[in-house]
Amino acid sequence: DDAERGASADREVVEARRRMLEEWLAWRANVEEEIEEERLDRGLPAKPGPEAEEVSGEERKGEVIE
Amino acid sequence: MRPILLSGHERALTQIKFNPDGDLLFSVSKDQNICVWFSHNGERLGTYKGHQGAIWTVDVDHTSTFIASGSADNTIKLWEVKTGKCLKTWEFPTAVKRVEFNEDSTQLLGVTEKRMGHLGTIVVLNIIPDVNAEQSDEKELTIVCDESKATVAGWSYLNKYIIAGHEDGSVSQYDAKTGEQLDNFPVHELGMQVTDLQWSPDRTYFITASKDKTAKLIAARDLEVLKTYPADTPLNSAAITPKKDYVLLGGGQAAMDVTTTSARQGKFEARFYHKIFEDEIGRVRGHFGPLNTVAADPTGKSYASGGEDGYVRIHHFDKGYFDFLYEVERERQNQNRL
Repeated sequence: DDAERGASADREVVEARRRMLEEWLAWRANVEEEIEEERLDRGLPAKPGPEAEEVSGEERKGEVIE
Repeated sequence: MRPILLSGHERALTQIKFNPDGDLLFSVSKDQNICVWFSHNGERLGTYKGHQGAIWTVDVDHTSTFIASGSADNTIKLWEVKTGKCLKTWEFPTAVKRVEFNEDSTQLLGVTEKRMGHLGTIVVLNIIPDVNAEQSDEKELTIVCDESKATVAGWSYLNKYIIAGHEDGSVSQYDAKTGEQLDNFPVHELGMQVTDLQWSPDRTYFITASKDKTAKLIAARDLEVLKTYPADTPLNSAAITPKKDYVLLGGGQAAMDVTTTSARQGKFEARFYHKIFEDEIGRVRGHFGPLNTVAADPTGKSYASGGEDGYVRIHHFDKGYFDFLYEVERERQNQNRL
C-alpha cells in the first residue's frame, strides 16, 4: 500500500514538472514570437540564432564544454 | 567544481560582472578600486583607480570596450577597458548605487541615492561608442522615484523598458524613452528591499533578489511573476544561468544581525535552484561572510560570487552540472530528437 502511494506521489510530482515545463516552453514561444514581431515593426533584423536562449537538445549537447 | 579564489580587494565586494565573452570578470568593492580578472585562471589583469569612495556598481558594454562604475563619491565614471583610462566623470548630488548599459550600449542608466533634500532618481546618459569621443554632460532623461527610491534598475529587450526594483519591495516598469511609469507591482514583501535585478540573455525576463528571503523570476513585458525561489536567509543577489535552466542566489545575514545559532550555521552559500521547477538543487560553500553579489558567466561555463569577506570566488562547472537533467527534461530532449 505504502509503496503504491509512494509511486503515485512520484507520478504526481513528475506530472507537475511536465506541466511546468510545457507551460514554460509555451510562454517562451509566445514571448519570442511577440519580440520577433516588434523587431520587424522597428525594421530591425531578426534575432540571430546563437543569441536565442532556447536551443534544441542536440545543440545543447554540442555546447557542453569543460 | 574547481574554485578559484581572487584576493585583491581589501574590503567587501559590492558587485561583480562578466563581460559578454565570459573571459573577463570585473569586480568593485568598498575599497574604492575596480579590478579586472581573467576568469579562466583568476589572474588580475589590472585595476581602475580614481574613485574617492566605496564603489557600489559596475557594468561592461557589449563590445568589452568600456566599463561604467558608480560610487559613494557621487559620480559615474566611464573607463576604457584596455588602457584603464578614465574617459568621463558625471557628477550627481548623491551616491550612485547601480549602473547598466542598454542592449546596444548607446545609453547608460544610473540609480542615484535618496538623501535629505534629494529624491532617488534613475538617470539616463547617452554614450558615444568611441574611446576618443567627448562624452556629453547632459542627461537624456531623469526619472524621479517619489514613492519609494529605486535600489536597482536595468534595461529590457529592445531598450523598450527601464525596470527598477525599489526599497519598498516593489518593481516598476518605465517607458525607456519618456520615463513614464507604466506599471508598479508589489512583487516582494512590503518594506523588504529589492537587492538585485539581473537579466535573461535576451532581456525578456529578469530575476530579483530581496531581503524578504525570496528571488522572483519576472516577465519584462507585463511584470508577471513567473517563478518564486524561497530561501532561508535574506538575499543580496540573484542571477540566471545560460545554457542550463538554473538560477543562482546569494545572501546571508551579517554576524551582528543574527542570533548565535544561525550565525553558527553561517548560510554563506551560493544556492542553485531549477529555474522552471523552482526546486533547490545544490549549494556551494566557501565564503566567510554574506554573499553580496553573484554573476553567471554568459557562456555558461562558470559562475562567480563576491563576498562581504572581501573575496571573489570563480567556479568552473564540471560535467555533472551540464549532464544533470530531470526526467521530464530528458523526455523532452528525446522527443526533440525524433
